[in-house]
Amino acid sequence: MESSRTRCAGRRLASIALVGFALLPAFAAAQTKEPIKIGAVLALTGPGAGLGQAERNGILLAEKLINDKGGVKGRPIKVLIEDDGSKPDIAKGKAENLIFNEKVVAIIGPSLTASTGAVAAVTNAEGVPELALTGLGPQIELTYKSVYHLLPPQVLNAKAMLEYTTKSLKAKKVGVLHDSGYGQLVLNALQSQSSGYGIEFVAVEKFEVGATDVSTQAAKVRAANPEAVFVIATNPVPFRNARQMRIAQPIVSAIGSSSYQYVNGMGEFAHDIVFPEFVVGEDPLQHQTDFVNLYKAAYNALPKNYEAAGWDAVHILARALEKAGPDAGGEAIAKAIREPYKGVTATYNFAAPDMTGVELSSYVYSKLVNGKFTRLPFTTK
Amino acid sequence: MNGTLLLQSVIVGITNGFVYALVGLGIAVVFRGTRIINAMQGEFSLVGGLVAFVVVESLGWPLAVATVAGVLAGGVLGFAMEWLLVRPTRRRGAGEESYLLLTLGVAFAISAAVLYFIGRDTRSLPGIGGEGSAVLFDAAVRYHAMWLVILSSAVMLLLRLFYDRTRIGLSMMAASIDEDGAATIGIDVPLMRSLSFLLGGLVGGLAGVLVSPLITIHYEMGLLLTLKGFAAAILGGLLNPFGAVIGGLTLGLIESLAVLTVSSGYKDVIAMTLLIVIMIFLPNGMLGRGSRKGG
Repeated sequence: MESSRTRCAGRRLASIALVGFALLPAFAAAQTKEPIKIGAVLALTGPGAGLGQAERNGILLAEKLINDKGGVKGRPIKVLIEDDGSKPDIAKGKAENLIFNEKVVAIIGPSLTASTGAVAAVTNAEGVPELALTGLGPQIELTYKSVYHLLPPQVLNAKAMLEYTTKSLKAKKVGVLHDSGYGQLVLNALQSQSSGYGIEFVAVEKFEVGATDVSTQAAKVRAANPEAVFVIATNPVPFRNARQMRIAQPIVSAIGSSSYQYVNGMGEFAHDIVFPEFVVGEDPLQHQTDFVNLYKAAYNALPKNYEAAGWDAVHILARALEKAGPDAGGEAIAKAIREPYKGVTATYNFAAPDMTGVELSSYVYSKLVNGKFTRLPFTTK
Repeated sequence: MNGTLLLQSVIVGITNGFVYALVGLGIAVVFRGTRIINAMQGEFSLVGGLVAFVVVESLGWPLAVATVAGVLAGGVLGFAMEWLLVRPTRRRGAGEESYLLLTLGVAFAISAAVLYFIGRDTRSLPGIGGEGSAVLFDAAVRYHAMWLVILSSAVMLLLRLFYDRTRIGLSMMAASIDEDGAATIGIDVPLMRSLSFLLGGLVGGLAGVLVSPLITIHYEMGLLLTLKGFAAAILGGLLNPFGAVIGGLTLGLIESLAVLTVSSGYKDVIAMTLLIVIMIFLPNGMLGRGSRKGG
């Protein structure tokens, strides 16, 4: 009996050693061969740093995982990350350096729409694939053949908000409290889509980005007696003021406001606010679980949408490089990227007219309950 | 426009006005004692608010202790600022513009240090009296806002008494008005300047503790507060601490009523246009004559 157990253990050890030896050459080769250089231009400082830093975390995690598995075609990948300071002119300069001096095979980023436009002009001219961590921006981007977007356009974000408002809340009269930056972009999209959903905006109140008090604006929205209120801002103050001014109606917000950075500042008012988004770290979908667990182990924090977008960008690129080959050239790599891909964030089809192909069905809905995001059963499927 | 909305706007305007007034008061205190325009007054509030937050959230101590800690932190920062940076600069014969640049530079440095060590997250400090509101003719008045008005008013009165009735307050004024004359009669002029910064820091720290529950704490809040406080102090008359109150309330009410009557998008345009008009007709501030009397 004892000798049989010993023999079994010996066999198991031998099997592990064999597998280890089998993988070792691939791993060792990946570490010794020349790395495949990928450029990333992110907003690590400045107003967009909340996005860029999150994206960097996702990118670095994906890079490590791919290299631990042996890299791409036996070569490790190396993501060269540059900070654009949230400025388009700096983003363009950093991208040019990565393309012309570092000879990267593709660019990931930037984090902001204006910077994406500046970088896209370069990547398009040079035929270098670009995986922008933004939604589709100016219409000229539709003429670019190698620029793809990891996040949906604002029109889709607006539709996701309107779907929940009309189908779950059954609300038709909506008040809006929005800032003059991100909030204005979403509002424009909401106004272009509202008639299709039979929504009437009974009050629209704007305030400057970073406003320290919007109580009067919130009081005006309340006075219009809406059935639901959209609060869209990159700042927790309007959410607090809305409740402090006794807006008791359901609050629906947008994906850009669903950051822990803002939730912390909402204090006890981080409650009963709904967000259409993609990743609810507290309760991920099945296909998101591995990413969320890896992220938690690496950073001791829960990921959200922008971390996932960074992660997806690296994986999409790695798959394309695997298929086309790292030395195939920009056009071949761009073509390989175009194939549909089910990522952590969403299911992508970069061949779609909006260069993203994200459908409404990719959205999940979360609600803040006592400062924690909880995933709602509502879907648009 | 209905009556409730008008009342709500006035309440919001008064609350914000006292926020601006408290910061402006600190700027006026430092200017009155040193003739230096302190561009880092908002940073005293940032540090005061952050210290109070750490005491409440990390140490779990009561808000009263946190308030004292926040106020003291502002005072220590003010004193250290004068001792370590302003005094050596003065010794080398710096002009007014040098102090402005110095305090502005320190303001950016503190903001960057908070970003580096504390991060980008906004933080919420609990309000005095909780987060609830009283209802007055269907308009909401936050309990904390009531405390802010009461405590700010008390501080302003105490400062008035301090400058008018106490030996040290009078010495601080004398050192500021006539440096050589004050030194001749035995006043320690450098110490008086340090005390002016200390006092400005204490007021700034208190402003941080009182303002943080309303606007949340984040690394950029200092400069935002300084701008509004500076407008309040100039509008009212920089040499008269009461001027900051009048200036702050005027600014807060103009902003709030502009949102109500015109459009929230034009709030700052309307408020700043009116401020320009006021400054053209009252170049020494709304309490100009009083400020000159005050020295």
